[in-house]
Amino acid sequence: MWRKSKPYLLLLPAIATIVLLFFGGLFDGLLKSLGYFPAIGETRLELTAYAEVVQSDGFWESLELTLRVAVLSSILAGILGGILGVSLFLLNEASKTGQARVWHRLFQLPLTIPHLVGGYVVVLLFMQSGLLSKLLASLGVIDELTDFPVLVNDPFGWGIILTYAWKEAPFVSLLIYPVLSRIQRSWRDVSRVFGAEKWNFIREIVLPVMLPSWTIAVFIVFVFTFSAFEVPFLLGVTYPGMLPVYSYQLYTSGTFADRPEALAVNIILAALTIALGLVIYYFSKRWQVWKGWA
Amino acid sequence: MNDLRILHLEKKYSKTAAAGQEPFVLQPVDLTIREAEFFTLLGPSGCGKTTLLKLVAGLLQADSGQLWLGDSELTAVPPEDRRFSMVFQQPLLFPHMTIEDNVAFGLKMQKVKRKKRLSLAQEMLEFVGLAGFESRFPDGLSGGQQQRVALARALVADPRLLLMDEPFSALDPGLREEMRELLSRIQKQLGVTVLFVTHDREEAFELSDRIGIMGNGRLLQVGTAMELYELPASTQIARFLGMKNIIPGTVHGGRFISNEGVFEFSAGNSVKAGEWCLILRPEALQLLAPGTPAPAGALLVRGEVGRMKFHHGLYQCKLHVGGAQLDCTLSRQQAESLAAGQVYDFFVLPDDLHLVGI
Repeated sequence: MWRKSKPYLLLLPAIATIVLLFFGGLFDGLLKSLGYFPAIGETRLELTAYAEVVQSDGFWESLELTLRVAVLSSILAGILGGILGVSLFLLNEASKTGQARVWHRLFQLPLTIPHLVGGYVVVLLFMQSGLLSKLLASLGVIDELTDFPVLVNDPFGWGIILTYAWKEAPFVSLLIYPVLSRIQRSWRDVSRVFGAEKWNFIREIVLPVMLPSWTIAVFIVFVFTFSAFEVPFLLGVTYPGMLPVYSYQLYTSGTFADRPEALAVNIILAALTIALGLVIYYFSKRWQVWKGWA
Repeated sequence: MNDLRILHLEKKYSKTAAAGQEPFVLQPVDLTIREAEFFTLLGPSGCGKTTLLKLVAGLLQADSGQLWLGDSELTAVPPEDRRFSMVFQQPLLFPHMTIEDNVAFGLKMQKVKRKKRLSLAQEMLEFVGLAGFESRFPDGLSGGQQQRVALARALVADPRLLLMDEPFSALDPGLREEMRELLSRIQKQLGVTVLFVTHDREEAFELSDRIGIMGNGRLLQVGTAMELYELPASTQIARFLGMKNIIPGTVHGGRFISNEGVFEFSAGNSVKAGEWCLILRPEALQLLAPGTPAPAGALLVRGEVGRMKFHHGLYQCKLHVGGAQLDCTLSRQQAESLAAGQVYDFFVLPDDLHLVGI
């Protein structure tokens, strides 16, 4: 009995903390978004905050920006990560030395850098008075620093997109690389004997093998960027902000009465994230990522 | 004729040699494999047979030499353009493809239209006894079935040469036997030229039209199974073929005398004086019925019968002759008329006395 329950008991402190802080916070947020706010004497549950959120232009503009940034960052990160993963795989195939391993570690470097630092790196590199614009000006490519396009704190969200593309590409490659590393070196011999040139091998074997994992990795990046806060806060514009920033602004700048609205935005965000998570789960089950692998 | 001609093909592995070891060298090989022939390279592990196979496939680059198929030279042609097929030791099917897509892979690379290639794949699957498995994935098949699929994949593209690198060595004995029969039947029906690599003597003898025996990076002898068995060119080949009755001696004045002086017979005038070995096949030692004379010119061997073992319908018997111990194969009737520990007369016909140089 003790032996059976021991692992669960050992996990209890961690689980309790997660349940209390995460689910507790979420539940508290849900109650407050429904107008339950005893501190200001509100104890009724109603959907007023949700109705106000849905009717406000700010919410829809923010949602549009959030979707655009999340879609573009995950596609860019997916393409970059895919190229990275396949390049590493081909490098590993071609060289028998540890060269590929060194490159692999180097490409994984962005994983170790916090998002906030990544955001600052993008600011320093891509702002109009940043390193890149100064470099282009000194090379004579642009006349003035102001000729450099606004990529940081721009309404379109390029700064955020660039940060996530750079930061999440190694994550995508990290997720697909184990799949690629299961491709046996002898498969290349098999494919060559049967008439496949290198590109045929990539198209027929490498890409189909990595596609399910790649798609799931891109979905994860999408869900993450959809609900991330610090980079949009640092690199976005005041209006429209991405949904998490919009919610933060509502929460901190308004009165107590605005808080249910801010929390309603959070709950909508959480619901959308959960829905997207379920979509990923559905596809991963349907595609059976490891289908055919003994 | 689309014979495959290997001319002085050579390969040296300098980088892979471990410290203090000589690098492996495949000595220049000259060999012609006839169209529709089943040719086997037979030899122990590490003798260079797979290296030679990969050189023929184009998966390894030869240091020197040429490779021709009919009138076209293939030496510098990359493997993807040779139109050969290969079955490896492992099935190496692509796990993300269905069985029919795996089989049709070579045809797809040849840009055959989808409908046609799938129909050809289905036909070939039926040919190897796997009709109905088209839409399955490789992990749903047993090892033997997967190797059948690999065979179908290799045959469906109508290859100019089928290369096989110990394809049945990972299968259990019963399945191996079944696959040999299947391969033999298919090869005869399709008339495909096969270059087969194995270290299994039985497999080579059962399947091949001709066999090339390899050892230490050299092609030692080429011949039919019977030629190799009855007339091995060296003691190394005889030992590899499992012969144990190898008796060292010398030839002097046209006569062979074994080192212990037990065996002595006329070797003929064409045999040079020097050190030689007598190779006696176990079944060449025949029991002489008591009171009957030995045939003219036969070598008479008197020995004490030792331990007898029943094996594959025959008896394997140890015969102590002087200081030597010979292996001898007897029929059940003959064996039952003998008693262990007793001395009996045996004879060997002159044609069965085979001498090889040391």
